[in-house]
Amino acid sequence: MIHEISYSFDELTLDMNYLSAMLGFADGVLPEPFDQYVAEAIQEAQSLCDIRGAFYISEKSEFIASNSMISIDGIEFGIGKTVAKELRNSTSVALFLCTAGKGISQRSQELLKGENPVLGYVFDVLGSMIVESAADQLQKKIGQIANSSALLISNRYSPGYCKWSVADQHKLFSFFPPNCCGISLTNSALMHPIKSVSGIIGLGKEVKFREYTCDLCSQVDCFHRNHQRVGQKV
Amino acid sequence: MNELLIKLAECIEFGKINMASPYPPQMKGQEGADEITRRALEEGVPPQDILSNGLMPGMERIGVKFRENKVFVPQVLMSAKAMSTAMLHLKPHFLSGAAKQKGTFIIGTVLGDLHDIGKNLVGMMVEGNGYKVIDLGTDVGSDKFIEAVRQNPEAVVGLSALLTTTMVNMEKITREIKEAMPGTLVTIGGAPVNNDFCSKIGADNYSPDPQGVVEYLNSKIA
Repeated sequence: MIHEISYSFDELTLDMNYLSAMLGFADGVLPEPFDQYVAEAIQEAQSLCDIRGAFYISEKSEFIASNSMISIDGIEFGIGKTVAKELRNSTSVALFLCTAGKGISQRSQELLKGENPVLGYVFDVLGSMIVESAADQLQKKIGQIANSSALLISNRYSPGYCKWSVADQHKLFSFFPPNCCGISLTNSALMHPIKSVSGIIGLGKEVKFREYTCDLCSQVDCFHRNHQRVGQKV
Repeated sequence: MNELLIKLAECIEFGKINMASPYPPQMKGQEGADEITRRALEEGVPPQDILSNGLMPGMERIGVKFRENKVFVPQVLMSAKAMSTAMLHLKPHFLSGAAKQKGTFIIGTVLGDLHDIGKNLVGMMVEGNGYKVIDLGTDVGSDKFIEAVRQNPEAVVGLSALLTTTMVNMEKITREIKEAMPGTLVTIGGAPVNNDFCSKIGADNYSPDPQGVVEYLNSKIA
């Protein structure tokens, strides 16, 4: 069964220190015109965003072959050794996707290509924050379901990270109806809208949630690593 | 050196676009790249000097700061905006031949990939360092790159990709460019690529940051 959820902008928790730091102002004090840009982007984002998520919990998952693959309802994912190790104690898994909607991505693209690239970049960072915050909410919801069965959840892991091939997006998306939450996938496994996240979460009595997972991954420039870096600065 | 050019370099480095621009706070109320470039031309400073000794040093400094993580993307975008504002005054002089760009750089994000912030930053930085930039956009296949090289045979090509699924297209594009236009130099960049991948696909250079592309171009064609 697919669970679909919509979120309003107000339901999300956005870390303004992170936004300031990503704009180059780690002390949190935004000079002109950045203060206006941020205010403008936040105001506009509330009507631009169409924040939606969906998840599917499979009971039929098993680890196979070389300790780096998982079979979910008979479909094999090459999640890599790192993610497999983190999910090792799962008794079931949740697959999820979520998006900030196409409006904020389009607005960001228009501005980046045209009249105001700096404001476009503010929208871009804000879009990333919105979709990650939506993924946090989705993860919380999956956690509540797990807790109701006395289970714990792992962190979320996405194709493209920790040596899990991004090409597996196609398999992940096959669990959801076409255009679920308004998200589509290109042949090269790029999600549309761009501000979308997909992934897997392990459920089980013995799974662990880690506060810090960037040491598992070699991706040098991603939202999570930047967030960690910024968290140390502010 | 001309005092105006020193100030101009500072405007570019700190992203001071014009007098009305409130950014950066420490230069609020001062002239920006717009006014200073205009004034320099009025005072008879050769357009080539404005480009080489005013604009380019400023862009180089911001490029180095970005490489060293001392500034973030928005500061580079501000500098690029200041640069492009100044360039509007110089454009007629490029057309008349009074000022020359160092060479041509063709850039695009490869087929299947739509990410363009990194590609745009490289384009801005290269342009700010005195090159003509032809930006082919995103999702660009071999044909479009080859056509652009045919029209600009001396140009260097830059390929960008952000996904492991699209970086593989760099190999085909590099091979086809080199088959169609032997001798064309190809430089690659983007989160998933590295020097090993560059060697493997037969590209000529990998740069992890925009300033690296500028340095590569300077070493090859400037």
